Amino acid sequence: MGVEKDVAIKATHVSKDFKLYYDKAHTLKEKLLFFSKKNKNKNDILHVLKDINLEIKKGESVALIGTNGSGKSTLLKLMTRIIYPNKGRITTNGKLTSLLELGAGFHEDFTGRENIYFNASIFGLTRQEIDEKIDEIIEFSELKDFIDNPVRTYSSGMYMRLAFSVAINVQAEILLIDEILAVGDKHFQDKCFAKLMELKKAGKTIVIVTHDTDKVKKFCDRAVWLYNGEIRMDGETNKVLQEYIKVCG
Amino acid sequence: MNVFKELYNYRELLKTNIKKEIRGKYKGSWLGVLWTFLNPLLMLAVYAFVFPYILRVDVENYTIFMIVALIPWNFFTTAVQTGTSSVTINGNILKKVYFPREIIPLSVTTSQLVNFLITCLIMFGFILFSGVGFSIHFLLFPVLVFVQFILTLGINLILSAVTVFVNDVAHFVQVAMTLGFYATPVVYLSSMLPEKFQWVMHINPMAVLVESYRAILYYHKMPDMYWLGIWIVLSIIILVVGYMIFKKLERTFVEEL
Repeated sequence: MGVEKDVAIKATHVSKDFKLYYDKAHTLKEKLLFFSKKNKNKNDILHVLKDINLEIKKGESVALIGTNGSGKSTLLKLMTRIIYPNKGRITTNGKLTSLLELGAGFHEDFTGRENIYFNASIFGLTRQEIDEKIDEIIEFSELKDFIDNPVRTYSSGMYMRLAFSVAINVQAEILLIDEILAVGDKHFQDKCFAKLMELKKAGKTIVIVTHDTDKVKKFCDRAVWLYNGEIRMDGETNKVLQEYIKVCG
Repeated sequence: MNVFKELYNYRELLKTNIKKEIRGKYKGSWLGVLWTFLNPLLMLAVYAFVFPYILRVDVENYTIFMIVALIPWNFFTTAVQTGTSSVTINGNILKKVYFPREIIPLSVTTSQLVNFLITCLIMFGFILFSGVGFSIHFLLFPVLVFVQFILTLGINLILSAVTVFVNDVAHFVQVAMTLGFYATPVVYLSSMLPEKFQWVMHINPMAVLVESYRAILYYHKMPDMYWLGIWIVLSIIILVVGYMIFKKLERTFVEEL
């Protein structure tokens, strides 16, 4: 695919637009009725990302920073292939896991253990791989006593802990994280942070979207500042943060 | 072939999805998975009474005549109906994580195939105990099932993707299936159809398939290889084209859902 070996994520001239629907024609009748009308220009187009060029090397840990609506989360979603760019292309190299929406595909009536299997299979693990990991996942979640109860009986904290434990233990080479370092209580957060550090040391590529500048400073070697859908600054964390704080406070 | 490689990587997801489909369908009902058997049996009982006694379709061993067509037809309709809405129903999870999207219509179609194969056991039981029995032509049975699976999967890939953009498709499908039931010689003999409608038996793939099932299981003879051959080729084309359409449309699924 033309991606160099040491590159984990590469975006070339990536643009993403969203249509803003005020009243979306969803049925055929509506589509036909509103086909010719001025309705077309009612759908404004929002340019969320404009011509982004970004290359993230393997083993780098990068923070995407920026104010709300600057396009950070959209960029992260493009990396996971949940959405696709309108222009340009984005390539990833290596097994990828996203901690964007934790607990995706959790089934309320199934037990914690069954959900681990289900959730991990969404990340592309085989049964055998999950069998090998399951003890570690349960151990990490600290839900040993509840693991065979249906997930609907879990508190929201327990739910997130389980989801996080699965996502972080699926042996991915690239981790995409959106504002996630706020899972559970202080103790569990510290544990997650330590785990992320460990993964970083193990040479995993990590991309984090966050507003927590302290965490960024401690964790990331590089920061990319997005402003109105464009890269305003890209470089060593402290330098970028200094500028960022100056402008955005 | 990248298609197969990625699906292979996600085989566990495919497996759990299929299991969930099969188990989940009857969740909360008293008789549970038994409905897989009961449903076609009850339908069969109704038809076996209505057609020979009320509408006077005069065919020897009518129950067998019908069951060998009804069960494949049921597989087709339920698979297409559940397949059509499959992507929309799973919208929530599509918005959250990436996995090969075609897993959704594929697992729906496959779980219906499994259901079908289970109900086939009942059908075989009927064939055996009614004295109709089996002949060497039975060897073609797996071929027919395979063709039907490919055809259904192709249709589901197209319909499930299009439904995301135009919700109405599901309603059209429902009507089309009712029409399809009468355009397919399930409860009647294809020869009962007037000459001027005979072409329907050729352009309707399910008519061709149903006639073929009936040929090998009921009449113990070779199916019409000419039309079956044509539809084997067309089914493969439908699958390939369906896959291409699905791949093209899936890029904007999440924004439309």
